[in-house]
Amino acid sequence: MGVFILRKAGAALIVVFLASVLVFVGVRAIPGDPALAYASEDRDPKVLAAIREKYGLNDPLPVQYVKWAGLALQGDLGTDSRGLPVAETIRTRIPLTLELAGLALLIGTVVGISAGVIAAVRRGKPSDYAATTAALLGLSVPHFWLGLLMIIVFSVNLNWLPASGYVPFREDPVENLKHMVMPALVLGLGLSAVLMRQMRSAMLESLAADYVRTARAKGLSEWSVVGKHALRNSLITVTTVIGLQLGALISGAVVTEQIFGIAGFGRLTVDSIAQRDYPLLQGVVLVVAVGYVVVNLFVDIAYSLINPRIRVSGART
Amino acid sequence: MSYVEATPLGARARRRRILRRRFLRRPAAVISLLIVVGAVLAAAFARWVAPYSPDATDFNALLSGPSREHLLGTDDLGRDTLSRIIWGARASIQAGFLATVLAMVVAVPIGLIGGYYRGWLDTAIARVTDVLLAFPFLILAVGLAAILGPSLLNATLALGIAAVPPLIRIARGETLALREEDYVRAAVANGANDAVIIGRHILPNMTSTLLVQATLTIPAAIIGEAVLSFLGLGVQPPTPSWGVMLNAAQPYLNEAPGLAVYPGLAIVIVALAFNLLGDGLRDVLDPRTER
Repeated sequence: MGVFILRKAGAALIVVFLASVLVFVGVRAIPGDPALAYASEDRDPKVLAAIREKYGLNDPLPVQYVKWAGLALQGDLGTDSRGLPVAETIRTRIPLTLELAGLALLIGTVVGISAGVIAAVRRGKPSDYAATTAALLGLSVPHFWLGLLMIIVFSVNLNWLPASGYVPFREDPVENLKHMVMPALVLGLGLSAVLMRQMRSAMLESLAADYVRTARAKGLSEWSVVGKHALRNSLITVTTVIGLQLGALISGAVVTEQIFGIAGFGRLTVDSIAQRDYPLLQGVVLVVAVGYVVVNLFVDIAYSLINPRIRVSGART
Repeated sequence: MSYVEATPLGARARRRRILRRRFLRRPAAVISLLIVVGAVLAAAFARWVAPYSPDATDFNALLSGPSREHLLGTDDLGRDTLSRIIWGARASIQAGFLATVLAMVVAVPIGLIGGYYRGWLDTAIARVTDVLLAFPFLILAVGLAAILGPSLLNATLALGIAAVPPLIRIARGETLALREEDYVRAAVANGANDAVIIGRHILPNMTSTLLVQATLTIPAAIIGEAVLSFLGLGVQPPTPSWGVMLNAAQPYLNEAPGLAVYPGLAIVIVALAFNLLGDGLRDVLDPRTER
């Protein structure tokens, strides 16, 4: 087990390193002189030269990378073009996105898994068709459009929920949830569509397996057959899918925050691109990549804990 | 009793006929195919299909609802929504198909080579794929679009490149499985060289997987184009695109909600048609997955 975790962690470290190189090089490939961005209005060559000197823009790229990565390891992502520390900005924005993603994950798993189980158990019946159709629809509806529709219905027409903004949970829990309901639903329902399909096919496979036939032959109640035998084994597959879907969740958060005017991490990503804020963009994308890799590492480990076959074979990486 | 001898069909023609019959038995897939073909034709012949030019303004009808002159109403400049949706289909269809073709052309050879030759090259390919997969599809596309600059072509390029890593994985996995097949071994015994084995034996046997994957990548790219344009990183106004239209609709959710509803509906219908077509093709081409 220890060896397995070490090997996985090692691979994740390599991926993080290469991703950081990619982020660094990618950001530098964006057209436009970063010195100009820092200087904003000032085009005086002397000012520009001073800026290049200050931010080390004259150093060769590998030197710049080592400096940047060294500081990043200590949690220092430099300062953005307004002189604010990037790490601090990211830290203040992340809780909003984590709340949004957490709620969405909750909605997505609860709705997706229960719908998938129901559809599999009642295969070929109307409830199966309804759930399958809804999931297919959910896959084809873009987040941002669903968000706009919800705003039209619940904010503009019914006036039930605020269309945009954010109130911290500690200040006013009720207002906080009111602001979060629609974004979390938008993000969560897309996730539930994916999970429902995975859950349904995993359940169908489990329900056809020998151990389920044995359980039925033993005379166990249907509830126990479905709940204890089939469900547990199907959840193993779905755990990995949840891990893989985190990427989609992050992408979705970018668009959802844009629509609902939530100043979270996703909004920060779009803003940093719009403002050509190199250090900010660099820090933001690095955090996304590292977070994604770390979460998937945990999913891999969790997966191997609940499914020992993976550890032994080790073939599936 | 005399009988007419059935014309002998080649194995390939017979298989094609079986597949066609199996496909026609799925109404959802057939309807989806018709919708896809309809959308492609509408985009190609927008000039003749659309009732108005996408830029024609009607100042007597600003933000108007559906009427006989303007079936889906007009926007804040009095431009016909239906016409703009039809013209906007061009950007979506173009981005969807070109991005997918680009991704396939890049990913499939890499996956084939990695999976077939294995060794250090394969390890390197797998690692690089892992790194690229560390960036969520849309984040990668948004980042690339930012690097390349906002335009439809660049958005298409960005979406195509962003779709490469998962496709490499699929092509590589298929190759790894197919190279162990008996017919590959037989070809090796017959003295076939690598190019023949890859080109004649492995690639043709993964086309159905790739075809299904393509029909699933296209809607992802179509939605991706809409998102990039919505964020201002794709098609630039006044050129019509569904994402641009949805972005422009935001200030008028109160007065003219239709502006936000119809372009999104267009995205959903086209994306859904591609997804259903992909599901149908998978069932037709791979009877094992029949549910």
